[in-house]
Amino acid sequence: MALPKHLQNGLTPDELTFLAEEETIDIVPLFSMTRVRLLSGIYGPFTPPSAAKVPLWLALSLKRKRKCRIVPPEWLSIDRVQNSLKEERENAESFCSLPRRFIEISKVLLDVAQDDLMQPSSLRSLLKDLREVRQAKIRIGLQSEGVMRGSYLQVTNLTPLELSELKPFLVKAMGIMQSLEPRKEEDEDEEEGGGNYAQ
Amino acid sequence: MDDDYYSLNSILAENHKLSCSFTLDVEGLGYLEGGTENNIHQHSKVELPFWLAQTLSLNEFTTFPLPPPYSNRVKAALNASAQSVKLSNLVGGNGWWYRWGRRIADVLDDEPQADLLNTLLKAFVNRLPALQDLSAHHASADHTLPEGSTSTGETFRDGMEGDERELFAIGQESGKVSKSWYDSSGRKGGR
Repeated sequence: MALPKHLQNGLTPDELTFLAEEETIDIVPLFSMTRVRLLSGIYGPFTPPSAAKVPLWLALSLKRKRKCRIVPPEWLSIDRVQNSLKEERENAESFCSLPRRFIEISKVLLDVAQDDLMQPSSLRSLLKDLREVRQAKIRIGLQSEGVMRGSYLQVTNLTPLELSELKPFLVKAMGIMQSLEPRKEEDEDEEEGGGNYAQ
Repeated sequence: MDDDYYSLNSILAENHKLSCSFTLDVEGLGYLEGGTENNIHQHSKVELPFWLAQTLSLNEFTTFPLPPPYSNRVKAALNASAQSVKLSNLVGGNGWWYRWGRRIADVLDDEPQADLLNTLLKAFVNRLPALQDLSAHHASADHTLPEGSTSTGETFRDGMEGDERELFAIGQESGKVSKSWYDSSGRKGGR
């Protein structure tokens, strides 16, 4: 393949962040402007006290120029994250469901728009805890019976970002296991792309 | 683990020597034994690279016993503690223990084949958790500090064979990429 090796395994976290910036978010503009037509749609009008819906990348760009205040999504509040964390801890078997771009959006908002969030530092540590609990579960999952038999890993509710970290290792490991599986019949086709894909 | 025609790893794995004995006399190939004799005699033992031994054995010109890296002694050691067996030393060169074993299994009959593959698979599965922990640990570790080589993880790392080392590198790399993403402050481009 023509792609450099580090891009062959799938999307990188940076690329996922780029995709996440397509999500829309509410902002309170600090300037007045009529509607603007962008490739992805028409946004505005921007009239200061009322909120407008724009893509995240636009919100971040305006925020960096101090031209808006970002209204954090409702799932990014101390309460909601605390609930998720509690649910995650209580439920040892599976992952709790998070918005698809949860990690990416929360990270860029904490990076760029810290002052628009309530208690950013405790939010940050809650997110870190949440991540660690989920990572621990992934680790246990990797040593579970399903993986050991080379057949499957339970990844329901994992976000694409977490999967991107896990995938290269898992694909290669399962490729090796599949090739070591005792042959049933003389069908050479059973070796699917697994091993090749990881190379 | 691909057996692609162009896979260098496969070629290297096939190049290990296997001790075979001929089942018939062969004229003019005495130099394979390294001696001055002109012919190879029946039952004489010759070390042949696997790619040659494979064809000869499939045509029943030669037979070979299971080579020492897959003997019962190794099997017993793997059963006792899979993680402390140094697979890297068992097969020469880069130590493609799994690959070579799999190629040998291809030549064997049904029962010993399943037996050998089961041994390989079990060894891999039992070593996987340690491998995963180690790669995750190395991905998150601070590499500016000098590395201590006393922990059990390090001795396991010395014993990894070729494919395990590749897997380790892959796990470490993806862990590193994520870690650097989490640590970055998102100030690219900026204002």
